[in-house]
Amino acid sequence: MNELYDSLLDTPTLAVALTLAAYLGGVALFERMGRPSWCPAVLIGAVFTAASLWLLRYDFADYQRNVAWLTLLLGPATVALAVPLYQQRQHIFALWKPILCSLPLAAVLAAFYAVLIAWLLGAPPAVLASLAPKSVTAPLAMGIQEQIGGSLSLMLGGLLITGVLTTIFVSLLARLLNITDQRILGFALGVNGHAIGIVRAFELGPKAGAFASLGMSLVGVFSALFLPLAWKLFGS
Amino acid sequence: MKLLRGFLWLLGFQLLGHAVVELLSLPVSHAMAGLLLLLAWLLVKRRLNESVATASQALIPLLAMLIMPGVVGVFFVIDEFAGHWAAVMVALGVGTFLSVLTTLWLMLRFMPKEADSGDERGRLS
Repeated sequence: MNELYDSLLDTPTLAVALTLAAYLGGVALFERMGRPSWCPAVLIGAVFTAASLWLLRYDFADYQRNVAWLTLLLGPATVALAVPLYQQRQHIFALWKPILCSLPLAAVLAAFYAVLIAWLLGAPPAVLASLAPKSVTAPLAMGIQEQIGGSLSLMLGGLLITGVLTTIFVSLLARLLNITDQRILGFALGVNGHAIGIVRAFELGPKAGAFASLGMSLVGVFSALFLPLAWKLFGS
Repeated sequence: MKLLRGFLWLLGFQLLGHAVVELLSLPVSHAMAGLLLLLAWLLVKRRLNESVATASQALIPLLAMLIMPGVVGVFFVIDEFAGHWAAVMVALGVGTFLSVLTTLWLMLRFMPKEADSGDERGRLS
């Protein structure tokens, strides 16, 4: 019996099945909760996965090794992001001036503020590196993390929190500063809050959604080129 | 077959990205280089290959599921970063507030007033 149990735990099939089940369960619960923007479906799915690993006494390192059969798809799925970016080329060409003036600065500051604050509070280099890609969409952020180091898990957790906080702060500041321009709100949501911001932007309207996707893609590409370079230069 | 052909295209661009990154020792990930190469190729060709479109529509919705195993790790590093969680939370909270504020200000400053040419530029998938 024990042998059977061990051999089940040892197959990639179980790890993949567990992951899919937890994710689908997370999405189902997310729908039942009325799609709350403060609690993304992938977070619920991650809690389910962690709980089942604990119940099964499944070592996390073993799980990671086995589930790599599934996450291999992350590579081609990341390459696929070129397609929506290509489809947005008209927006980019039409608005190249405001984009060029604001986007690089916004992307740099999104990383800089958090890294600076954490550094002032005495966080070690591994934590700083994990916080730097916090506004970048997860697949590209994982590529950045390969380059600059830090903890993958901490980085992804920070990403989720950043996404949720962005939706809260954009709503708050839109009211305080009386901003109603969907393009600006959408862009701010995508630039700072990656995929979670986009979901919120589409609730504001299709135009906000389109600008959020644009902001997310551009920040992702810019940061993936800029952050590893900056890390090399400043050698932290 | 369209899906498979598109998938093979994506893998091909990822491998090409891998080769370029390693040959030139660039500080970007292989998949990111593949993304940029595919984008450049699309911009040069000015036409979206139907099989690539099919494969990307199939894969992009899976991204959230594909990053989930990484997110799970958060629950296993809580001890590893004990003592730094306050710094992490303050950095994320204050940092995100400041960066949202800055982005809004920059966009208000540089974005031309809405000419509103109908809604045709609003629709994108």
